[in-house]
Amino acid sequence: MSRPGFVLEVDERTPALLMHEGEGFRLEKLPLGSRVIYPPESLPGLRDVDGEIRRALDNPLGREPLRELLFAGMKLTIVFDDLSIPLPPMRTPDIRQRVIEQVLELAAAKGVDDVELIAGNALHRRMTPAELKRTVGERVYRSFFPRHLRNHDAEDKANLTEIGHTKHGEVVEINRRAAESDLIVYVNVSLTAMSGGPKSVSVGLASYRSLKHHHNVHTLRHSRSFNDPPNSAMHHSYDRMSGLLGDNLKIFQIETTVNNDTFPTQLGFLNKREWEWTLKDQAAYLAVKRANDLAPPKRRRQIWHKTASPYGITSVTAGDPIAVHEVTMRNVLRQQLTEVDGPADIGIWGLPYICPYNVNSIMNPILVMSLGLGYFFNLYRNQPIVRPGGVAIYYHPVRNEFHPVHHPSYIDFFEEVLAETTDPVAIETKFEEQFATDPWYIHLYRNSYAYHGVHPLYMWYWGAHAMEHLGDVIFVGGDRKTTERMGFRSASTLDDALAMARERVGGSPTINYLHAPPLTMADVR
Amino acid sequence: MGLMKDIRVLTGGRDWRGRSRTPRSAVAHEPPEPPREFPTGWARTPAAQKARRALQRGVLTPLTWTQTRPEIQGRDRLAGLKGPVVFVANHSSHLDTPLILGSLPRHLGERVAVGAAADYFFDARVRAVVTALIFNAFPVERHRSRRLRSLAPLLLARGWSLLLFPEGTRSEDGWMSPLRLGAAHLCVTQGVPMVPIGLRGTYAAMPRGRNWPVPGRARVVVRYGTPLRPQAGEGARAFNARMADSIAQLWAEEEMGWYGSLRAQAKGELALPTGQQLPAGSWRRTWESTRPLGASAPKPAWDD
Repeated sequence: MSRPGFVLEVDERTPALLMHEGEGFRLEKLPLGSRVIYPPESLPGLRDVDGEIRRALDNPLGREPLRELLFAGMKLTIVFDDLSIPLPPMRTPDIRQRVIEQVLELAAAKGVDDVELIAGNALHRRMTPAELKRTVGERVYRSFFPRHLRNHDAEDKANLTEIGHTKHGEVVEINRRAAESDLIVYVNVSLTAMSGGPKSVSVGLASYRSLKHHHNVHTLRHSRSFNDPPNSAMHHSYDRMSGLLGDNLKIFQIETTVNNDTFPTQLGFLNKREWEWTLKDQAAYLAVKRANDLAPPKRRRQIWHKTASPYGITSVTAGDPIAVHEVTMRNVLRQQLTEVDGPADIGIWGLPYICPYNVNSIMNPILVMSLGLGYFFNLYRNQPIVRPGGVAIYYHPVRNEFHPVHHPSYIDFFEEVLAETTDPVAIETKFEEQFATDPWYIHLYRNSYAYHGVHPLYMWYWGAHAMEHLGDVIFVGGDRKTTERMGFRSASTLDDALAMARERVGGSPTINYLHAPPLTMADVR
Repeated sequence: MGLMKDIRVLTGGRDWRGRSRTPRSAVAHEPPEPPREFPTGWARTPAAQKARRALQRGVLTPLTWTQTRPEIQGRDRLAGLKGPVVFVANHSSHLDTPLILGSLPRHLGERVAVGAAADYFFDARVRAVVTALIFNAFPVERHRSRRLRSLAPLLLARGWSLLLFPEGTRSEDGWMSPLRLGAAHLCVTQGVPMVPIGLRGTYAAMPRGRNWPVPGRARVVVRYGTPLRPQAGEGARAFNARMADSIAQLWAEEEMGWYGSLRAQAKGELALPTGQQLPAGSWRRTWESTRPLGASAPKPAWDD
C-alpha cells in the first residue's frame, strides 16, 4: 500500500534533506518550521502490462475496439510521444514499444499495409535512429525505419496541411500524412498533468504557424498553472484545436501513466524519505555522492544520462482522446498530488540534471530557467507554493555550457537576446519572428539534430508566469555571471540565499520546499 | 575534506546506528512495520534452559514470592498429567507469568514456552532477548496480522507445553475480556489437553503501568482447574466456551468456594467476569477490581 503524499514540517528531529542540483545532489539542513512537500509514494505498477494494453485496445472508451477500426487498404498513422517524456527515460522495453507492437499485431491481422510511424516531436530536435530504436523497439524499428518510421518535420511545407481555424482564429496545421490517414493512433506517456489528451496531436504534429497561438507570453501568463488544464489558457487553446481536429480526423488515443519509481535500485535513496534511510541507503548516498563529485564532468553527464527509470505502469487507457484523458489525469494526480496549506514567502526547488529538452544532451542555462521557473514552479494547482512577490530559491550550478548541435539557437539567444533584455514580452515582440524564420536554424532543425530556432524563446515564455509572480529568483551554487545574464541572482549557500531573500520578504519568512523528483504536484489551498 | 563534510551532514541528527528520529509531522505517515521474526529457537537450547532455570529459581520466583503473598491451589489436579499441554489463564498483570511459572509442578514447568505479544515484547531487540531467555517466550501475533507464522503448533509437536493468555492483552481495568479462539483452536487441532488457570489479585498487586508490585505483599491466588480435553468432533468454539466456563468458575471460587462455584455454575449463574454489572468507563470498575483479596481463601463449604 503506497502512502499518500504529505507536508513535513521541519523540526529538530528532521535530518538533512536531499536536494538535487543538476548533475549532483546534496543534503541540506532546512530552517526549523520549513514545510517540505513530499509526493505520494510510488504506486504499484500493473502486473500484466501487456494484458492491460490488450484489454484497453479491446474495450476503449467512446470508440469501437481498435480491431474494428482497422481494415485492409486503409491508411494508418501511429504517432508517439518523442524522447522528451518520460524523464529520465524509461528502462526498455519502453511502454510505447509495448503498445505499438500490439497495435501493429492487430493491423497485421487485418491486412493493413499502409502504416506510418511518426514521432510527435513538434519543434523539438529529431530523434536519432538509436533513440527511435530504443523507443519503439528493435522489431518495429527493423520493419519500418527509415522510410515509414520518422520524425515529424514542422518545416516541411509540402507535408503540412491546414485543417482550419478555431473560433478564436487559431490556425490548426498538422502533419499531412496524419491528417490524410483513415485513422491516427496516438501512443502517449503522461508524466505530468500537462501532457497528453488534446495536446497530443494538436501540438506533437503541428507547425510553428499553429504552435504560436498557445506558445506565447500572454497564454503562458494566463496558465495558472499549465499543469492544471481547467485553469490553463494554454490548454483551452489545445482544447479548441483538438475539437477542430476531432471534427475532421479519426483519432484513437492510447494513454499510459507511470508511477514514481524514478531512480533505479542503486540510487534508491533518492526515492526515499530521508529519516527512513537505512544504513545501506546512507552508505549508498555517500558512495554515489563522492564518486559523482569526483568524476570528470563529461563522464558524470554520461552516467546520469544512461540512467533509466524502472517506472511501473499505473494505467493504460484507450479510445476517444477526451474520455481517455480524463482517466489519465486521475491517475497522474493520484500519483503526484499533495495538498499544501497555503503558499509561503520563499519556495525552494532542487533542480535535477534532466528536463524535457536535454535528454542525451546538456542542460544549458535557458533550460535551467525553463525547468525551474517553468516546469517546477508550475507544479501546482490553485496557487503557487510561493506567494506573489515571494522569492524562489533554486539549486543548480547554471553553468554557461550549451550543446552546439542540439541547441544552436539557444547560444545566440543567450549571447545576443538576453544581453539586451530578459523581458518575455519584449523578446517576443522583437525577436520571435527572427528566430522562428531564420533559414539556418530551420536547416539545422530539419537536417541536423537541432531544436527549432524559436524553441529557446518558448522556453523563456515558459517562465513568464513565474517571473511576473516572483519578487526575486536566487540560484544556490549558480554561476554568478550566467544567472546575472538571465536577470537572477546567485548565492553560495542556502544561508546566503535566505539572507538575500529576507531583504525582500522580511525577517522571518515561511518556506515551502517542493521535494522533487520524484515529481510532486502541490495542491495549494 | 569533502567526504568528512558529507559524513557530518549525513550523520547529523542520527544515532550511532544511523537511525534518525521521525519528524513529528511525519509520525502519522510512518510505513507499516516490515515483517520481522525474532528468532527464539536459541532460548530452548539446553544451555539456555539451564540459564533460565537458574534465573527463575534463583531470582524471579524468590522475588515474586517475597513481593507478593502467593497462594497456589489445585496443583493436585495436575498430578499425572503429562505434557505437552496448553495452559490458559486470565491476564491482568506482569505478575501472572512469574506466578504461574513459579508454581507449576516441576514435571510440567520445565518444558513450558510462553506466548508473548510480538508487537510488545519482540519489537526491541534487548526486550526480546530478555523475554525469550527468562520466560522461554515466543512471539504471538495478536492483531490478526499474517506477518508471522505461528510457532505454537511446532512447539507442541516438539513436546513443549504452552502458556497462553487468550484475552490477547493485559486487562485495562482488572476485569476480563472475551477469550479469543486461538488457544482453543490449537488444542482442538493438535489434540492436546488444556489446563485452565484462574488468577486473582494480580491486578490489585501490580496493575498496568506499574513495574513493581504494590508495597505490603498483596495476596495473590493461582488456581489450577481440572484439565479439559477436546472431545471427538468438538469444534474450537465449543471448546472455547468450556474453557471460559472453567475460568469463570475458578474466578468465582475465590468468593464462593469450590463447591459454591460448582453449584453456581450448575445453575447457570456464572459467566466470564467481564464486569458487565458495572458501567463501562466507571471508576467503580477499577475500584472493585483493585479491592484487595481477603486475608485467606473462603472456608470450605462443609465447615458451615
